[in-house]
Amino acid sequence: MATDTHTPAGPAAPDGGREASLRGRRRLERTAIMMFLVVASLAMAAPFLWMALSSIRDPTELAKVPMPLIPQDPRWENFSEALSRAPFAIYARNSLILAGAAAILNVTFASACGYALAKLRFRLAPAVFGWMVACIMIPFYATVIPVFLMVRHMPLFGGNTILGTGGTGWIDTWWALIVPGAISPFMVFLFRQFYVATPTELIEAARLDGVSELGIYTRIITPLITPGLLTVALLSFEAGWNNFLWPLLVTTSDSLRVIQVGISSFRQEASTDWHLLMAGTTMAAVPMIILFLVFQRYFVQGFASSGIK
Amino acid sequence: MSATAPVSAPPVAAAGPRPHPGTSRRRSVQTAERRWGLLLAAPATLHTLLWIGVPIIVAFVLSFTAYDVINPPEFAGLENYATIFGDELFWLSVVHNVIIAGVGIPISMFLALLFAVLLNRSVPGQGIFRVMVFLPHITATVAVAMIWLWIYNPSESGLFNVLLGTFGIGPVPFLTNSDYALASVILVTIWQGIGLKMLIYLAALQGVDTQLYEAAELDGANFVQRFLKITVPMLKPATFFILVTSLIGNFQTFDLIYILTEGGPANSTSVVTYRIYQTAFQEFRMGLASAQSVILLLILVVLALLSRKIVGGTDGD
Repeated sequence: MATDTHTPAGPAAPDGGREASLRGRRRLERTAIMMFLVVASLAMAAPFLWMALSSIRDPTELAKVPMPLIPQDPRWENFSEALSRAPFAIYARNSLILAGAAAILNVTFASACGYALAKLRFRLAPAVFGWMVACIMIPFYATVIPVFLMVRHMPLFGGNTILGTGGTGWIDTWWALIVPGAISPFMVFLFRQFYVATPTELIEAARLDGVSELGIYTRIITPLITPGLLTVALLSFEAGWNNFLWPLLVTTSDSLRVIQVGISSFRQEASTDWHLLMAGTTMAAVPMIILFLVFQRYFVQGFASSGIK
Repeated sequence: MSATAPVSAPPVAAAGPRPHPGTSRRRSVQTAERRWGLLLAAPATLHTLLWIGVPIIVAFVLSFTAYDVINPPEFAGLENYATIFGDELFWLSVVHNVIIAGVGIPISMFLALLFAVLLNRSVPGQGIFRVMVFLPHITATVAVAMIWLWIYNPSESGLFNVLLGTFGIGPVPFLTNSDYALASVILVTIWQGIGLKMLIYLAALQGVDTQLYEAAELDGANFVQRFLKITVPMLKPATFFILVTSLIGNFQTFDLIYILTEGGPANSTSVVTYRIYQTAFQEFRMGLASAQSVILLLILVVLALLSRKIVGGTDGD
């Protein structure tokens, strides 16, 4: 019977008993798989559920032994209390500005560079492309010390002299938060990949029609990669929102603190008030989760290609 | 780097048999193209040269100095590298990275593959399952670490200790005992790492011919057999790729350690990036920390070259 498998009409063969057992085994397989998936993905999501449950838990329950897994009496005031203990609204606003700036700057400048590398012939193009690829491989941790020192010694800022000494430079300013990481070489690379897939004939035709080079880039080709644009915007936004080490290093005042650093410092303050800590953590995590659920398709596209560096 | 092909492609009209009507116009188009190419590429190029290129050189230079931020740097020759050579804590941190990678990556790769294979077929609720597995990757590591800090809480109200308590075990000091701390960290990296790996596997699975499975199923191969004889060999390139990118990512673990353990207890969870952070921003030994970053960069370059060798020409387009 083995030869049957090579013809698509095989399954309709008269061998009825075998058909039935195959179907039976399939059903069993399906049930087993379904059960595994439910249990395993619940285990994957459990920490988030635990976070959500803890964020509405009454603190008196924390002391109970054994503690009931589901809060008996949801306490929404945990959020307002957390908000009053630390300025989470300001933290969130700062993160929003940082993430928004990252998204806008990358969409503007990384797309320009990506377009030039994909579609325009200029002498330095191979060198620029090679440089961008090399940059992708350099981890931030290898450059963080010099970048920090450059920011601190930025001439004529924060009381620094023209030689960059005497003051604090960009430390604890928006400049430090936004500028050094503003353009990601990976986003340039990603944009290049998106632009490479667009038709060059369209550019040639537009040139014959007398459209300017800038007009071709902004009005003719870029609209074709709108999904790619959204992908980069979302990935940049996510990276900005989730960034921790850099804001931790360059900000000291509450008014510039971003949400991830805010959570980390709130931990010192609220120490064992886990209902408040989890309320704060929920506020730091949920915006990205919602954004992800809404724009899932673009995130997945971006992450899939970010794996393929 | 064959990926620069579109740049070096010959001008379209040059190949045409018909003599071009206006060569001067063509030349002006080329000039405009050149000028705009340079102009559009300039901001990103200059920015990365300033904020990545210069720092790399500065890091290298600083690694030969003693520098405490307050006093100007002093040339120290190879002293920093000699210090690192004898610095047990630094190498212990490297070893921790290797252990986290060695234990965590294979496990999370296996689970990611399992999820990918099961979620590649049409099952009810496919989308929800994918999201649930992927959420840990999308969430900020700081938030993730806070959640796990609470789950691992040594008091009887930490989730794990609540669960263990019902069996009469515990409470276990997951993060505060140096016997358990590294294992506890590894568990989090596994949980957080599955999502992205699953996604890459899912993408790779799209390329596997479904007829292979149909044929094998009709031949009576069960799910496990099909998995081992078809899926695993077909996914070899993706597996190598995930392995190497995970290795590189592993050496950049920082946020998790910072929140969960601060490298402790008794340095039992210190990792390279955390050690660099301590040297630079707690001990203010910028020269030594720069030398440590140079070593980290070398480790990553070796891993990247290895990946290049293994996955060959699959990167780029």
